[in-house]
Amino acid sequence: MSLLVADKLTVSTTLDGAHVPVLRDLSFSLQGGKVLGLVGESGAGKSMVGRAVAQLLPAGFAVSGGSLAFAGADLVAMAAEARRNLLGRAIAFIPQEPLSALNPVLTIAAQFNEHLARIGVAARERRERMLAAFDAVHLPRGAELLTRYPHQLSGGMCQRVLIAFAFASHPKLVIADEPTTALDVTIQARIVRLIAEMQEREDTAVLFITHDLRLAAQVCDDILVLYAGRAVEYGPARKVFAAPGHPYTRCLQLANPAMHARRGLYALPERMPGLRAYAGIPGCAFAPRCPHGVDACRAAPPPLVEVGAAQGATGHVAACIRAPLTSQIAAPAEPPPEAVAAAAPILAVANLTKRFTSGGLLRRSAFTAVNDVSFTLRANEFVGIVGESGSGKSTLARLIVGLEAPSAGRIAIAGVEASDPAFAAHRRRHVQMVFQDPQSALNPRRRVASIVTQPLEAAGHIGWEERLARAGLLLGEIGLPADAALRFPAQLSGGQRQRVNIARALCALPRILIADEIVSGLDVSVQAQLLNLLAALRRERHFAMLFISHDLSVVRYLCDRVLVMTRGEVVEAGPTEQVFAAPAHEYTRALLAAVPPDDPAEVWEGLRA
Amino acid sequence: MSAWTSTSRGASKSAWPAWLRSPRVLAGLAVVSAIALIALAAPLLAPHDPNEQNLVATFLPPAWANGGEAAFPLGTDSLGRCTLSRLIYGARIAMTVAIVASLGAMLIGAVLAHIAGYFGGATDWLIGRTVDVWMSFPPVILSLILMVGLGTGLRNVILAIVLVDWTRFCRVLRAEVLVVTRRDYVAAARLVGFSHWRTITREILPATLPLLITLVSLEMGIAVIVEAILSFVGMSVEPTIPTWGQMIADARQFIYDSPWNLTFPILAIFVTVLGFNVLGDGLRRTLDVRLTESRA
Repeated sequence: MSLLVADKLTVSTTLDGAHVPVLRDLSFSLQGGKVLGLVGESGAGKSMVGRAVAQLLPAGFAVSGGSLAFAGADLVAMAAEARRNLLGRAIAFIPQEPLSALNPVLTIAAQFNEHLARIGVAARERRERMLAAFDAVHLPRGAELLTRYPHQLSGGMCQRVLIAFAFASHPKLVIADEPTTALDVTIQARIVRLIAEMQEREDTAVLFITHDLRLAAQVCDDILVLYAGRAVEYGPARKVFAAPGHPYTRCLQLANPAMHARRGLYALPERMPGLRAYAGIPGCAFAPRCPHGVDACRAAPPPLVEVGAAQGATGHVAACIRAPLTSQIAAPAEPPPEAVAAAAPILAVANLTKRFTSGGLLRRSAFTAVNDVSFTLRANEFVGIVGESGSGKSTLARLIVGLEAPSAGRIAIAGVEASDPAFAAHRRRHVQMVFQDPQSALNPRRRVASIVTQPLEAAGHIGWEERLARAGLLLGEIGLPADAALRFPAQLSGGQRQRVNIARALCALPRILIADEIVSGLDVSVQAQLLNLLAALRRERHFAMLFISHDLSVVRYLCDRVLVMTRGEVVEAGPTEQVFAAPAHEYTRALLAAVPPDDPAEVWEGLRA
Repeated sequence: MSAWTSTSRGASKSAWPAWLRSPRVLAGLAVVSAIALIALAAPLLAPHDPNEQNLVATFLPPAWANGGEAAFPLGTDSLGRCTLSRLIYGARIAMTVAIVASLGAMLIGAVLAHIAGYFGGATDWLIGRTVDVWMSFPPVILSLILMVGLGTGLRNVILAIVLVDWTRFCRVLRAEVLVVTRRDYVAAARLVGFSHWRTITREILPATLPLLITLVSLEMGIAVIVEAILSFVGMSVEPTIPTWGQMIADARQFIYDSPWNLTFPILAIFVTVLGFNVLGDGLRRTLDVRLTESRA
């Protein structure tokens, strides 16, 4: 019998007096002990499903149609009291941000105790239960852990604690809402493995909400792909991944850079329509972006129909009237490798070290963020720096652009040493940085045209007309409409803002671009657009780039060479292909193992290790 | 959780900026500008010379009360001077001090706050400690001491208030400058070649300006009170110039014989300060980025 059944579930909100559905006619069923993956980009409504099940819909949102049944009981019609009794007991939740889910002023013991008291564990058994729960999630030294406060634990440990909380009541259903997104790559694999292990041991059903199709294919039994509040594809994970029936699923797959195959990225145009926009779309919401969209698609929302019906009922359905054509969507050919000039390096860094000291006069503590790093960057070369948070990669970027002063070591840009009096001006002319968070990197009070031509403003008095003209050219080059010039950053989407960010850095024609995590936090389809843009700009502008990222597949797609950093040191360096094919350092191997393989049939090392 | 992206937010567009549509701002602005107009037009509005004594008509009650005279709408004081005229002329000192002193305090405080918050390090430490030491003196005592040292006079009253209250601006603004300075767009401006001066004026100041404006309007109310206190103890302008604080001091001796004389200047101070505070609160609500961003 199915544990969780949604039948034509519709969740709506009110926008400007009009009823707007955010989830429409969603039907799925989850068997006890199985894992259902909800996959989609931000705004698709995947978190809303989890919240509807937990009855934690944000204010103004309500279930307006269909039904949602848990173990035979109707969750929507259920009295608030009965529902509260289910939550935390039969239905548990693993949140996205482990640190903000724990109360910072209470010890772990106090919070666990509270939770156990609520699920009705007798006071004298609680300590025993806590230690057993920590043991189950492989948290060592449980007794010591109980006395700690959340800020004393790492993000990964907090997430383990929360998993222990979730499974403490032996729930029938666990809702995991992007449980690994806020964590480092190597920790992600361990957390996923842990959830899978607990799920198997307790025979719990899991609703696994993620934006990562590759990850979902690895850990889920079934996958439901959401687009603009509707299910576009639903079926067994392997089948969906191996032969997607809906063009959106296929495009998502191809937008993700591969770890092994050499192929280009499929960049969907535009982005998912906003809430207001898709309420007014009569047909398939994906049709405007779909490579196979025809007029018939726009007439009525396509029903979910069996994919590959010839083999009989497979339970794999897709909402596309032209599903047989989906497999024809192919990734573009990989862009030809760029010739890297064998000339003298444009950027040479030798023995670069940065120590931070903190504390007062008496008790000073030093922390080495970057330790003895040396490398070179040649003209028109893309070098990737990979590493986890705290590896010193961002500090390295700030040292090179001059936002931090090095403690030791030397930097030379196009042959000019840092000791040269002209170095500062030289560096400003040749090196530009693209910041990670476009929200913070763009002055909200400036218009786009004013932001992208800021280097002209710095150079002297240049008329607004001239700047506007220059902005128009730059916007064309980075793929933004000309009318964006007079908008404010708040009026742009995340991907568009990042383009503006890149345009500003390119305005003064630098020869070196330092890009710090510029595609993290963006949806896969937007990420693919930006990666293709960077590759195209490189062909036109011939600049060199230092590309900092925690995402190995992105680095593999874009970069000629790669540096692997951990704890402030470069532990491995070499041509990307070579390093990824035959990693020499243990840390590199751990990083590579943490990435889910391209093909779900392959054994995922990170999950086994 | 994933946020829904809304693309159009142009529904509430109007010719007036948001802060001019707030009822608080409008009410505060109305009160403050009315008093400012009265102060400007004092010679036209006042029925009598504020210092003209009329010893046969002392302690007259307001015109509407029993025994009042139409020639003295708000009555007369112990020397038979017209209360209304003195109030109207008193507004001149109050408004002059409010505007000039708060702008002066803002100028010193804001400049130091931007320097401290932007450059950080030793500069920040030095300015921060100076503010700490400065603020550890009780403000009223400090201004009294300054007045004793400087001597009476309008210019010295303003100087005393500026020297006491610049710290208020400095401390609050420095925290804001610190937050804005850490934004990546400030680093980006430096990287494209902006000078420190240009970075502060073009990138940081626009972000701190709303707070600055709010603080100035609140400081104006404080300046009115400080001036009243100083003139109450006779440490403000020359005794020949009528001020509200001085009127209160005069009326204090006859509080039981003629409570009216005490009531009107207190009321005048109350309305003026309320006007500035309502204006300041309205501006804070509409201009403060943290408040408006969460609503957007």
